[in-house]
Amino acid sequence: MLGFAPQSPPMKAKLSVVAVAGLLAGAGAVWLAAHQPYGRPTEPGPVLELLVGVSLFGCGLASWRARPENRVGLIMVLTGFAWFAAQLIEASAPWLYTTGLAIQSVCVIGLLYMLLSFPSGRLTGRSDRWLLRLGLGTTLGLQLLAMLYGNRSGVGCPSCTNNLLQVVHDNHKARGWLGLRDLFGVVLLLGLIGLLGRRWSRASAPQRRAVLPVLVTGCATLAALIGDIVNDLIGDPLGALPANVWFYAMATVPVAVMFVFLQRRLARGSVAGLVVELGGPSTSADLRSALARALGDPSLQLAYWLPADEAWVDGEGTSVTLPDADSGRSSTFVERDGQRIAAVLHDPVLEHNAELVRSVCAAASLTLENERLQAELRARLVELQASRARLVEATDVERRRIERDLHDGTQQRLVSIAMSLGLLESRLPTQGTAKPLVHETREALALALAELRELTHGINPPLLTEQGLAAALDELCRRAALPTHLELALDRRLPDQIESAAYFVTSEALTNAAKHSHGTEVSVLASCDARSVTVEVADNGIGGATTAGGSGLRGLADRVEALGGHFTVSSPPGRGTTLRAEIPCA
Amino acid sequence: MRIALADDAVILREGLSRLLEEAGFDVVGLAADAEALLELVERTLPDVAIVDIRMPPTHTDEGLRAAKVIRERWPTVGLLVLSQHVNTRYALELLSAGTDGIGYLLKERVSDLDELSSSVTRVGQGGSVLDPAVVGELVGRRRQADNPLERLTDREREVLALMAEGRSNGAIAERLFITDHTVEKHVKNILGTLRLPQSPDDHRRVLAVITYLTSQ
Repeated sequence: MLGFAPQSPPMKAKLSVVAVAGLLAGAGAVWLAAHQPYGRPTEPGPVLELLVGVSLFGCGLASWRARPENRVGLIMVLTGFAWFAAQLIEASAPWLYTTGLAIQSVCVIGLLYMLLSFPSGRLTGRSDRWLLRLGLGTTLGLQLLAMLYGNRSGVGCPSCTNNLLQVVHDNHKARGWLGLRDLFGVVLLLGLIGLLGRRWSRASAPQRRAVLPVLVTGCATLAALIGDIVNDLIGDPLGALPANVWFYAMATVPVAVMFVFLQRRLARGSVAGLVVELGGPSTSADLRSALARALGDPSLQLAYWLPADEAWVDGEGTSVTLPDADSGRSSTFVERDGQRIAAVLHDPVLEHNAELVRSVCAAASLTLENERLQAELRARLVELQASRARLVEATDVERRRIERDLHDGTQQRLVSIAMSLGLLESRLPTQGTAKPLVHETREALALALAELRELTHGINPPLLTEQGLAAALDELCRRAALPTHLELALDRRLPDQIESAAYFVTSEALTNAAKHSHGTEVSVLASCDARSVTVEVADNGIGGATTAGGSGLRGLADRVEALGGHFTVSSPPGRGTTLRAEIPCA
Repeated sequence: MRIALADDAVILREGLSRLLEEAGFDVVGLAADAEALLELVERTLPDVAIVDIRMPPTHTDEGLRAAKVIRERWPTVGLLVLSQHVNTRYALELLSAGTDGIGYLLKERVSDLDELSSSVTRVGQGGSVLDPAVVGELVGRRRQADNPLERLTDREREVLALMAEGRSNGAIAERLFITDHTVEKHVKNILGTLRLPQSPDDHRRVLAVITYLTSQ
């Protein structure tokens, strides 16, 4: 398979008819060139004329066949016809000669159209359309105007046939109008070069790669044409040379267009290179850059399909949304065994080379499937991490709710009972046995309230919620059982669950230090920067603490890690214990 | 003595009001939030305003802020702030501007009618009251071995705590079943050890002691 688009029968017939017509036109041009009367100017020569026509026609047909939906091929074929038709200028019959003379410059407009619309085949901007209209108007209009005054004899052909449009014989005026046409032509061509240059400077890398051959040959041709016209205007000091150069250059443009359109056949080389590259061990980033290289689009991205979640993720397992149709990015979907596995997000210019994109995707599909499985795994990990964080957050919320409920409910009710008992106690006679009993009850209740207070404080210290981590750590260190030195570098409130985690790490560490370390003092350091908050609790005890088993340290580590942080214990025997928790807060 | 009372919980507001009336105080009005309290104080100018620290809308330190406003606008009104939690920080913040006519008590403490009565009276007379639980945290904090506080005897530490609670020498003597003279001796020793100025004025003494305790 050579990578041609499949041909439908009508399309085939149409192309065949056009090909036959082209052959006839070419043959006619050859006959005319062979039978031109003596004394006609022969430069740039019939062979070169024919070469340009064949190039336009042949390459146009091949491009049309490769990209039937793209108008550039058709334009090239039409330009080829116009080019051959312009050879009618060599004919002896007056009406044929007149026709040839009138459409002499139309093929230049074909060139303009090709360059402006490449590679999509569509004119995109208003400036494009205006340039073309202006070009057609001046070349055709001024040519016809000149023909009213004279024929080719006006431009130095004494033996030429008369043109049928001629009304007045005034070679001087005819030359004047033709000179004006040439001046307009030069300005228009310079404008076109400027437009193409601006478009190039704004193009993305893949876009530049796609248009480069056509742009180079096209601009060279325009420059050569300008040279030829200027040479004519200043009285032919260089003779036939500029005309020869412009004909040669013109012959290369269709070849460049065909080259780009058939590039997918050449691109098979890059697909083969990709297959070799993917044979080696690869990671997600390698795959992406290999595909980017193969397609010449450095901005290329990959998304993998998770059928269970019906969602797209990137290589890291993070959820992504595919770009909209009008976002300036294109997506090509990759399937394997009928199952969608991935999407390649690329520059829209690659849509003109869909065949190459499909080949590259097919070559990479096995690796893409492997990467998809890994991305799926990573997505599960991301989800797991998120669910751990949600669990911690839910626990924190629950703690706060319980503390609030105890404060507003149970504690208040008990306090109110204590008040009623106080009232009862004061009203009882001092002598009776009841009064001491009530007093005793009230004291017991006060003790229960104190215990409840400690309990709620342990569940969620109100100060932490109300005033933040700095204040809560300050209070915690004041209440600590060992002399505690606190150093704070916290400049702002942090999210609730981060403050809670940092607080409980410190609290648990202080309790451990008092219970197990046999140390005499503790230092606590809490600081935060833009990215994370760090708490470090160090004692001067016997060391030997570990997170193994069901110790409280394991719970702290879980809590910190659930928030994406790191928890480390350094506890060499005899050299004290240092707990350190670093939690990201950005 | 005329009392204004603010607490957002009805059962506590009503309960405390009954207790206060039982103890012989004149409750001039009740308020459910800080705004209503300020209105009430402006209208009745009571001797003492009793304020719950945690009130609507944020349920954090509205009472504390209302107390500050009252102290600024009506400096003659004594302030007794009530809390359900031991919050040393809030207590010290309250006392930082001066201890005259300022008190901080846990709610459960006020169920004891004698305690309530003496606390309100002390605040009303320009004295100060600090909850034993807060003082306990200040005095009971473990400190480095070379700290002067560590050199006090247990009895001196008890006396220090009662001083910090805002009690007079007479009250301390009564509490510890010792003579006024013994208390004076202890006080002199404590102030000497801590290098605090000897002041005959109970009120000034409280501020000095609390400042000392929090700075260590």
